[in-house]
Amino acid sequence: MLTWLILLPALGAVVVLATPRARKELHLPLGIALSVLPLGLAMHLFYVFEPVAGYQFSEFRPWYEPWGISWSLGVDGVSMPMVVLTTLLVPIALAASTSITDRTKEFVVYTLLLEAGMIGVFLSLDLFLFFVFFEVILIPMYFIIGIWGSERRVYAAMKFFIYTAFGSALMLAGIIALAITHGQQYGTVTFALSDLMNLELGVGVERWLFAAFALAFAIKVPLFPLHTWLPDAHTEAPTAGSVLLAGVLLKLGTYGLLRFNLGLFPEASVDAIWIMGILAVIGIVYGAAVAIVQPDLKKLVAYSSVSHLGFIVLGTFALTSGGLQGAVIQNVNHGLTTGALFLLVGMIYERRHTKEIAEFGGLQKVMPVYAGFFLFMIFASIGLPGLNGFVGEFLVLVGSYATLPVLAIIAATGVILAAIYLLWAYERVFTGVPDKEENKVLSDLSIREVSLLAPLAALVLLLGLYPNILLDKIAPSTESILDHIEASTDYRVPEPGRLGDVLVAPVAEGD
Amino acid sequence: MVIPEISWIAIAPELFLAVGAAAVLLVEVQWKPPPRTLGLIAGAAVVLASVFSVVQWFEVTDAVAAGSPGDLIVFSGLVVMDGFAVFGRFALLAVTGFGLLAGWRYIESLGRRGAEAGALILLATAGFSIMVASNNLVMMFLGLEVGSIALYVLAGMSRERARSDEAAIKYFLLGSFASAIFVYGVALLYAGTGQFEVLEMRNFLSGFVVLSPTVILIGLGFVVVGLGFKVSAAPFHSWAPDVYQGAPAGVVGYMAAVAKIAGFVAIARILLTGLGALDADWLPVVAAIATLSMVVGSVLALVQNDVRRMLAYSGVAHAGFIMTGVVGGSTDGVLFYLVVYALQLLGAFAVVAAVSGADTSESTLDTYRGLARRSPVLAGSFTVLLLGMAGLPFTSGFVAKFGVFAQAWSNGFEWLVVVAVVASVIAFAFYLRIIVVMYMDESDVIGIEVPGTIRWVLVAAVGTTVLWGLLPGSLLSLAADALPL
Repeated sequence: MLTWLILLPALGAVVVLATPRARKELHLPLGIALSVLPLGLAMHLFYVFEPVAGYQFSEFRPWYEPWGISWSLGVDGVSMPMVVLTTLLVPIALAASTSITDRTKEFVVYTLLLEAGMIGVFLSLDLFLFFVFFEVILIPMYFIIGIWGSERRVYAAMKFFIYTAFGSALMLAGIIALAITHGQQYGTVTFALSDLMNLELGVGVERWLFAAFALAFAIKVPLFPLHTWLPDAHTEAPTAGSVLLAGVLLKLGTYGLLRFNLGLFPEASVDAIWIMGILAVIGIVYGAAVAIVQPDLKKLVAYSSVSHLGFIVLGTFALTSGGLQGAVIQNVNHGLTTGALFLLVGMIYERRHTKEIAEFGGLQKVMPVYAGFFLFMIFASIGLPGLNGFVGEFLVLVGSYATLPVLAIIAATGVILAAIYLLWAYERVFTGVPDKEENKVLSDLSIREVSLLAPLAALVLLLGLYPNILLDKIAPSTESILDHIEASTDYRVPEPGRLGDVLVAPVAEGD
Repeated sequence: MVIPEISWIAIAPELFLAVGAAAVLLVEVQWKPPPRTLGLIAGAAVVLASVFSVVQWFEVTDAVAAGSPGDLIVFSGLVVMDGFAVFGRFALLAVTGFGLLAGWRYIESLGRRGAEAGALILLATAGFSIMVASNNLVMMFLGLEVGSIALYVLAGMSRERARSDEAAIKYFLLGSFASAIFVYGVALLYAGTGQFEVLEMRNFLSGFVVLSPTVILIGLGFVVVGLGFKVSAAPFHSWAPDVYQGAPAGVVGYMAAVAKIAGFVAIARILLTGLGALDADWLPVVAAIATLSMVVGSVLALVQNDVRRMLAYSGVAHAGFIMTGVVGGSTDGVLFYLVVYALQLLGAFAVVAAVSGADTSESTLDTYRGLARRSPVLAGSFTVLLLGMAGLPFTSGFVAKFGVFAQAWSNGFEWLVVVAVVASVIAFAFYLRIIVVMYMDESDVIGIEVPGTIRWVLVAAVGTTVLWGLLPGSLLSLAADALPL
């Protein structure tokens, strides 16, 4: 089943590749139709996914046995939401790419390959397989930025590639080290995550390996000070590229930290909570501060990503139930809201061919529906109660207050800063009177554009009002991550950091 | 006088190649047939040689299964027919077969002299083929020279072009210098151990404690330098960019690939088998060469503006990666890497030959501008091959790199692996540079015709790159069985 989730988009890419190049009008609709298949499968899996700890729908096939490599897949509460998010964003990103008229076929092929790779990363339970997917993703994304991007696209694509490839290269050394250590301790070389989690690593070795993995993921997130590739990549990428970059690719980093750094190196993770927390908080404040002064709408959203992803990292390394749950759900939230914001920026760019905030003004009179969606997504991004962003940030802040109180307080200012840069941008773009001639004649959103945004908006509202549809499935898995850390280190989650603490506490007081 | 027993099967592939080379020349002189006939003769020689190396493979398996590996040492210890040799030979023959196809348009364009080029290719392969199967170092030197001299001439086949002449002279002067150093090293090894034969050296070193191994170590150093030149490892690489750039595009892929295979098989045989007992002494040296090759190759490739020079420097880097496998101390990683890289290199130069025409050296990055529009097949194949060389997952290059890195790591050379992964990333940058030019730049030049022979080479090179990237087990298990005695 899970294999099909990876194969469907890959086969879809082959199908598109087989269609004649001349039938340009065919490629995009075909790609959208083909990418709906994995979405259906992912939704079905999400529906039947049991809210218990451990991996489900697992598959295991040996790949090359002497090296202990296997095609080993499975999902748990951490990866399941990400898979659904990925499969949801791909058709939307494709459908938003009608402005791409040059080499459409290749564009659709790369996007589908990208989807296969991203799903593969979330499903892999074998470190070799994981690395394979993690690296393979770079190529289609590199082409998407490099071919269909704006003026400085080649520079941005190269920067994106070199940054991420450098990080993952050191992780490869770390993966080799883990597999060989397993060979030395147990007699068999293996890359299976579940086996490698039982290794006895010395403190020094574990810290080095933690650093190698963390570097790869921190570049991907991106964590301050490794974030400089992100604004370039985002500004230059086409809309679909930005949506997938922000919606899914960055999450590979936060997902990796949660799954691999916490899982494989619990001791080093506990030692690193302050370092990672401080970097995350710097990212939150710095990203927000830089976003305020951006003259370019897309860059503003890009820097807001740096800020928002800081929350996810903070929640991850808070090592409490709330923090981890908040991190996972915030992964989804950020994908929805920022994905939608990039779509919105793309829509106005197609009309005006500029992203300069100063070029706009008074748009809400001309484009009321557009302005409505924009404001809605901004509110979600700021974390207005009732919308999804609130749930995630609240959980992260509550969760991190238990272990890193000072950082939680500073991080909370990020919420205020978000309100400043987003609302100020809204004010400059949408309020007032439209003074430029070009802006007076802009057409409002078409049915097609509304239908792209509507599902995202509906999910934003749904997750804001009833987050338990996700949290119920996430919680058992995040709890088991904490169990693993408590079992293998001296670290104990301070009360009331665990899920059980809150529930049991009143009873405990009673006797 | 005792006449040594002649084991025809052990040298059958070389015999067929040598006879084929002679036949090509004689048939040309006598009947002046169309080039196609000569091509068929050369092809038949390669096919027959390959058939017999398959037969050899089964002989080896039988002998090892029967517990009599001693039978595989033939010609009084001059030649050894072990799995390692047979695997290396088969790789050479595969490269030769596809090399003939890739260079066919060039060979045809030479007219009457085409026969010489075909015969030289067969002779070069015969020489290198006996080199990989040599147990005796003097025999190894003979094979090396037969192969190298044929390659010097091949490099200068396009006499009319000054660059080709320059390449041939440079290759010849530096190459014969390196051969001399190799011979001197062999002499010193003989002085130190009293043996010419690799297996006897091993027995000597494991049987006796050498109190002052200075002479052996100097000899070892010279041997490594001589062979390091042949595989273009830094700092002995300076000839490579000029030769790769100047030699005829049709055959340069073949030249580079066979020299790498033969050189590394010889290095692995001498170091891992013969002098394995002294590994504490040579491991740091080889690790240093590996480091230097990877760094120099990757960094200098970045600043090249000519695709051939870029491939030459990437070859230096690859020599470093394969050296990392030697440091890892096992032969299967080295063999897998060699086969994978040799085919990719051949395919890459086939693309270069198709883009720049059979006989010119015009291969600046500019000529690849917008190649994706001019010939999607060429651009697509080149992309896969470049990504394979870069070591992207799902290509054979990744499995190859992974294998040698893992072995080096488990042999205690963690730092070397870290250097190697960083070098791989730097290398990504220049492979991507070519891809950028092909895909992201516009061009108005109209399409390129891809000759049928080159298509076959591309199918094989791209096919194996992807196949062994997805299912590496098929080749890896063979490489793991191909052990030296």
